[in-house]
Amino acid sequence: MKSSTCIIGIIGMFSFLLCFSACQSQEEILREQYVVEGMGQYERHCENCHQKDGSGLKDLYPPLAKTDVWKRLSAYQLTCIIKYGQKDTIVVNQKVYQNYMPGNTKLEALDIAELITYMREKWGDDKRIFPLDSARLALKNCH
Amino acid sequence: MPSINIKIRLILLLVIIFNAACQEKRTLPILGHKDTVVKAGKVDTIYHQIPAFQFLNQDSVWISDKNYEGKIYIADFFFTSCPTICPKMKTQMLRLYERYANQDQIGLLSFSIDPEFDRPNVLKAYASRLHIQSPKWNLVTGEKAKIYELGQKSFMVTTQEDKNEAGGFVHSGAFILVDKQRHVRGIYDGTKEQEVNHLMEDIELLLKEK
Repeated sequence: MKSSTCIIGIIGMFSFLLCFSACQSQEEILREQYVVEGMGQYERHCENCHQKDGSGLKDLYPPLAKTDVWKRLSAYQLTCIIKYGQKDTIVVNQKVYQNYMPGNTKLEALDIAELITYMREKWGDDKRIFPLDSARLALKNCH
Repeated sequence: MPSINIKIRLILLLVIIFNAACQEKRTLPILGHKDTVVKAGKVDTIYHQIPAFQFLNQDSVWISDKNYEGKIYIADFFFTSCPTICPKMKTQMLRLYERYANQDQIGLLSFSIDPEFDRPNVLKAYASRLHIQSPKWNLVTGEKAKIYELGQKSFMVTTQEDKNEAGGFVHSGAFILVDKQRHVRGIYDGTKEQEVNHLMEDIELLLKEK
């Protein structure tokens, strides 16, 4: 009787662990999907100005790589800048950029969630997913 | 065996000579409409040329075709608030600017197709943010109709207003290569690195002419 409970316990624990790791990897799969999709979004909507490697263009367009943007601005703020543009000057790495950035009004919450997940991983040293719900919430609170 | 070897060597040598001869023959065509006239019994071909023009640059200095006399230059059409292809074009134009910085016989000329907004002071701010200077690279503005006409008829590229387009204008991303005789010798996609590499090869060919 005792040994059978023990076996059941072991099986139970094992299946729990299995499920847990499977769940985790599912989340990881989703994040990786976001990163891949986000890379495509970046190529289509951002790379023209900010360049493929995120280095920007002289004093015209600010860099994204190796910048304080990722520490200074929240994903919520970034969501609004991506969607509605940046009309005022922006300071990046203590340098002032005056060119206005046009908004990408055609991008939906999912596109932006993917984009930010991609950029944060690449340049922000931040491997968290930026969830779709958060992007939706951010968009509701822009302006 | 040795005779075959010699034969192979001979063939190889011939191939090399033939190739070299062919490569030297490569010249750039003169693009645009051609006319023929008969002068004193001889048939002459008149090639398309860039006509006289005059516009203000980023330093509020008049820039005309005279400034490019005896020079090879690369022209393009852009506007400073352009969100689409201009940044790519400017990235590629910067490559040319840096590469030919010390070659006085090569110049760059960018026409604004939004001249009402892109006044000289706006062009000046843009130029300083790009870290570029005249006269190596002139950004010019002037009467809109004249710029559009020059773009379409002389440089043979699309330039027009379109409210549906992001930024409000449609224009091609073309780089136009003009030789010392004001002939258009090549049109390249200025948004692609590969095409601009090709342009640079063609400039080398032009430099060897006369």
